[in-house]
Amino acid sequence: MAEPSGPPRPGAAFREGWHREIRFLQSSFWDRALVGWIPLLLMAVMAIQLSAGVMRDLPIAVVDQDGGATARELVRRLDAAPGLRVVARPPDMHAAERLVRSRDAYAILLIPRDTQRTVLRGQTASLTVFYNASYSTASGAAVREIGAVVQSYAVQLAKDQIATIEPGKVRPPPITAQTTILFNPQGSYELQLVALIHPALLHLIFMVAVASALGRELRDGTIGGWLGGMPPPSAVAAIAGKVAVYIVAFMAWSAVATGYLAEVRGWPVLGSPLMLFAGYAAMYLAYASVALLVTGLTLSMSKTLSMTGLYAGASFAFAGAIFPIESASLFARLWSALLPYTAFAKLLAEQWMMGSPAAASWPHIAIMLIFLVVGAGIGFPRYIAAATTPAVWGCR
Amino acid sequence: MIGRAFLATFRAILTDSAALMLLIGSAILYSFFYPSAYSGEVPTRMPVAVVDLDHSGTSRSLVSKLSALQQAEVVARLPSPDDALRWIESRRASAVVIIPEGFERHILRGEQGTVALYGSGAYLLRSSTALTGVGAALSALGRDAATDQAMALGAPAPPALGLIQRPLFNTREGYGSTVFPGVTFIIIHQTLLIGLALLAATMRERHGPLAFNPRDLLGIALAFFAIGAANVAYFTGFVFWFQDMPRAAGSLGALALAGALFVAATVTAALALASFFKTRERPLQLWIVTSVPIYFLSGLSWPAEATPDWLVLLARLLPTTPGIHLMVGVNQMGASLAEQRTDLLNLVALILLYGTVTIVRYCMPSPGHNLRRPIG
Repeated sequence: MAEPSGPPRPGAAFREGWHREIRFLQSSFWDRALVGWIPLLLMAVMAIQLSAGVMRDLPIAVVDQDGGATARELVRRLDAAPGLRVVARPPDMHAAERLVRSRDAYAILLIPRDTQRTVLRGQTASLTVFYNASYSTASGAAVREIGAVVQSYAVQLAKDQIATIEPGKVRPPPITAQTTILFNPQGSYELQLVALIHPALLHLIFMVAVASALGRELRDGTIGGWLGGMPPPSAVAAIAGKVAVYIVAFMAWSAVATGYLAEVRGWPVLGSPLMLFAGYAAMYLAYASVALLVTGLTLSMSKTLSMTGLYAGASFAFAGAIFPIESASLFARLWSALLPYTAFAKLLAEQWMMGSPAAASWPHIAIMLIFLVVGAGIGFPRYIAAATTPAVWGCR
Repeated sequence: MIGRAFLATFRAILTDSAALMLLIGSAILYSFFYPSAYSGEVPTRMPVAVVDLDHSGTSRSLVSKLSALQQAEVVARLPSPDDALRWIESRRASAVVIIPEGFERHILRGEQGTVALYGSGAYLLRSSTALTGVGAALSALGRDAATDQAMALGAPAPPALGLIQRPLFNTREGYGSTVFPGVTFIIIHQTLLIGLALLAATMRERHGPLAFNPRDLLGIALAFFAIGAANVAYFTGFVFWFQDMPRAAGSLGALALAGALFVAATVTAALALASFFKTRERPLQLWIVTSVPIYFLSGLSWPAEATPDWLVLLARLLPTTPGIHLMVGVNQMGASLAEQRTDLLNLVALILLYGTVTIVRYCMPSPGHNLRRPIG
């Protein structure tokens, strides 16, 4: 690499930063992996795991203390429901609970003695479902399905009784609620989870990659030779050129992730795909700036990476998209607001699932750009200053 | 020899601030940090917008009863369904209740008055439980609202079957108590793995390829085992109590054995993995990105029944998969060791597998040792 005569202009510095990073990636298998097959592998594992979308054949147990025809028909209907599989008919609750504790069943339906007689008398027979609340996703789905089967069977029983008991006496409950899930009518967890997990993985790997790229120059003391002689505008351009490599790579992964779910799996982007990608770009810019800020403040690659794990690794829990954050503590709400991913998750819900107008999502992009301004405003001067301070190099 | 290696390991940890932070500091930090995300526990009140197209006495009484529901908070009364859709789109409301025209007339005629409940599927996990609750509450409200109908036609027949729902184990059913006990063992697993690999890579940077005699290796393993065991004790003993999570449902003996096996499998896996790193920062870089997939692969939040079989099998190579099942089983469900023998055997198999890799990698440096591609 021939040193140019005189300090490079910003345009040349940007290109030099870009090529410098490409050359490094070509020489380092594992750094290349972090922008190559590692994101692909992790995204693929999550996509494959959640590809079923809805839970089918969840194992349940039935304790039938009644043994009548009504109970037998109910068990048949439960087993026929797509979401359920009656795997055992233990004789008592004690044996049934053992099945739940060994995770052979997510729920137990108890059909008490006299169920048949109560139904024939025209009264309500109470069934009880006990479910494993420690595994709430699966048991919640099983309970909802059991509830639907019981309700539809009760309607059938009522119709049968109109013929036998006095007509007109049997009427449906006066008010019923018909529930419709907007934006995700199939109730697919694949759309909900994969759409959010992919960007959660991507922004974490992206921030790790950028923190590594910036921290490495400090650790190896190569920052001096790279930025030392440059005027500040050129140094900013050089750093931008280095980071641009990762932005381009991860924008490509964003396109792969979106294309997979929208085209291959058939969950089309109902809003503006352009806005979605603008959101991705703003999110990467925000996390790059935070990486620059933290590197500038700690001047240590390992400390920056640890803080990246804390900051970008917990986004999923704090973003409020999966778990409600509104009712959490003040600290949690504050932390949530300090994550660009929180704004991105809102944008994603609006543009992908709800089909909101593109303009509705501008505020989220504006929020992410605030991170860019603050992070870059503090990070650039600190990092560039370190280029002429050999004393801080090599800090592990 | 074992004792000396044990103490030397602690000295190495104490003199390396990054390793100290990872192995001991982060457990304490994360034990307060993570639960704060779930401090809301059960989503208390779902913001609901109401559209009353009937404008009758019955519909007004239903709306006023809605606002008294525990599950829902009426945030707006809107003139049209289009307005309501906009409220959902801008996330000001999570659900909309629409009372159609003719609602009261239907009820007085002895027919069913149908209320439409729309929830936002963009937040499926958040809203599905809450929607079920609101739907059930609406039907229950119907019984009171139907007095007019009863006066005209006599009381309706009760439904033939009723269903009572009873949660087992995690009876408060909060997000925190469902998710955090799993996250806990991810934290213990990841900090041990990264901290140990960081130390090993640092030693390899300074002193070249690492080789230990079996006794030293045992001493090192015991030191990390002690840290892992302390972490398990800290979380299951103090944090679960402090955060008021379901805990101590099983016997102390079951907890001790299950915890010991989980930590032993994690330490042997960490030693095996660490033998491949030779740059200090590399484990941090490559391993912190794995936490979310490792959590989901454990099957706590997404059941194995809905995961492809081969992926379920591969997931069993991670100590966290059987480890989380065991620890949730012992701490929340009060499961006995016999009821969880599959997971126990899984951990024993992992200890043997990763223990063998560890011994081969550290105690028998083959001539071809340098041909293996070290990470970094």
